[in-house]
Amino acid sequence: MWDIADSSDTVRVRTFVVAIALLAVAFIGQVSVVARLGLPGGRLDLVLVLLAAISLIEGPLVGAVSGFVVGVLADLASSHVLGQSALVMCLVGYAVGLVMDAADRSVAVPLAAIGGASVAGTLGYAATTSIFGAAALTGGEAVVRALVAGVYAVLLTPFVFPLLTAVSRRLSGRLRRGAR
Amino acid sequence: MGRDTRRSRLVIIALLIAAFTLITLDYKTGRSANGARGVVHSALGGVEDGVSAVTRPIGRTVSSLAHPNRYHDRADRLAQDNAGLRRQLADNAEIGRMSKQLGDLRLLADKGQYSVVPAKVIAVGDVTGTDWTVTINAGRDDGVDVDKTVLNADGLVGTVSSATAHTAVVRLACDPNSRVGARLERTQLLGAVAGGQGPSALTFTLYDASFRVQKGDRLVTFGSMDYVAGVPIGVVTKVTDVGGLSRTAEVKPYVSVGTLDLVGVVVGRPATDPGDRLLAPQSVPTQSVPTGSAAQTPGTGTGTTPGTTRPGQGGTG
Repeated sequence: MWDIADSSDTVRVRTFVVAIALLAVAFIGQVSVVARLGLPGGRLDLVLVLLAAISLIEGPLVGAVSGFVVGVLADLASSHVLGQSALVMCLVGYAVGLVMDAADRSVAVPLAAIGGASVAGTLGYAATTSIFGAAALTGGEAVVRALVAGVYAVLLTPFVFPLLTAVSRRLSGRLRRGAR
Repeated sequence: MGRDTRRSRLVIIALLIAAFTLITLDYKTGRSANGARGVVHSALGGVEDGVSAVTRPIGRTVSSLAHPNRYHDRADRLAQDNAGLRRQLADNAEIGRMSKQLGDLRLLADKGQYSVVPAKVIAVGDVTGTDWTVTINAGRDDGVDVDKTVLNADGLVGTVSSATAHTAVVRLACDPNSRVGARLERTQLLGAVAGGQGPSALTFTLYDASFRVQKGDRLVTFGSMDYVAGVPIGVVTKVTDVGGLSRTAEVKPYVSVGTLDLVGVVVGRPATDPGDRLLAPQSVPTQSVPTGSAAQTPGTGTGTTPGTTRPGQGGTG
């Protein structure tokens, strides 16, 4: 199962590296720039938006692995239990990757998938925090915050998703989508 | 390639097992990965410092950077000059704002005779948004160490929870795990202030039930080994529990978490307890809480006689 590299495409390795690098940059942007903006209503989760978009384009495998790696990195940089956001991000990446095939069908699919991923991810963070640590939010607050994150994600998707699709096409040398 | 194949299912199962293993290890053994965390903190800290240094001025003047590459004619050059000057103005405003904050912090530190290390907030929280922490750009090399008190010009911010060479993580007072020894203004009655109520509310528990906590009472830190005494915490807004062995009250902190920018880490404590000196002068009755914020103008100095009613209210019951 670790034969990712020798399965006839070195493209995959490059995809993993680019995905993880993008998410790491998004993570720093999240804590140093977005978190300081004080957006009305809640927060935009840049990392979840990018992770969902990457999973939607590249599939569950890339989504789960890059989500896990960046999640561990984010956990190391935080003060909560190690592995907590790795778990959530890994699951979000995998789940969004499963609807990869439907993404070509309609514009609404990426919007719904990325918005839904932000809502589910934010709720997941709140849930894992209240299980493994002290509850920082009440249930109602968590739901409101998740919905706000979803709205921001939907607003951001039209900019992020086409850009990442273009990057992915260039990386893969139009192996996948270009064939259609 | 890789829709929902057997391989991707195996990978997700392996990753989930890995995640749960990490969680279990870290949860059971406490801070098991301190070394790795330290490395990540110091590596990210440098990047975050750079990012916030670059993005802060740009964010303010992004609209004035119109045509950067076109010097062809006079109009464009003038527009360029204009943008440059406007950027300079914005920078000046930023510098002025910073120096005012620094001055306010200095003033508070002098009142309490604390030695403070000033630092800027370079990252807020973490990726999940559930950590009530901020990262600041001062570390062990500047004298910052774990458990030191962090304040800003308004009052108590939190305590240092971990420090690397050039950055430190500050646990805010509103963190659910944070407990701060506090006492009521003008008394020596001890209580504890805990977080967990969101960013703009703290819970105060007074250990002595025979004393009446009142709306409008103000709190300062009690002080202990690493914790300096006398730092303003907040003002009581609501007394919630009047039965039982202790009294709890809701406290509105002086520091607003959303606008944290310049903070100071107290690295040297005064020889004596500074008492209530650091609280803003206030002689208005405790009744008029809504006007309390308006009366809190800096620079009123020693006068503080608003000329209103009932100045004899001193002992709080």
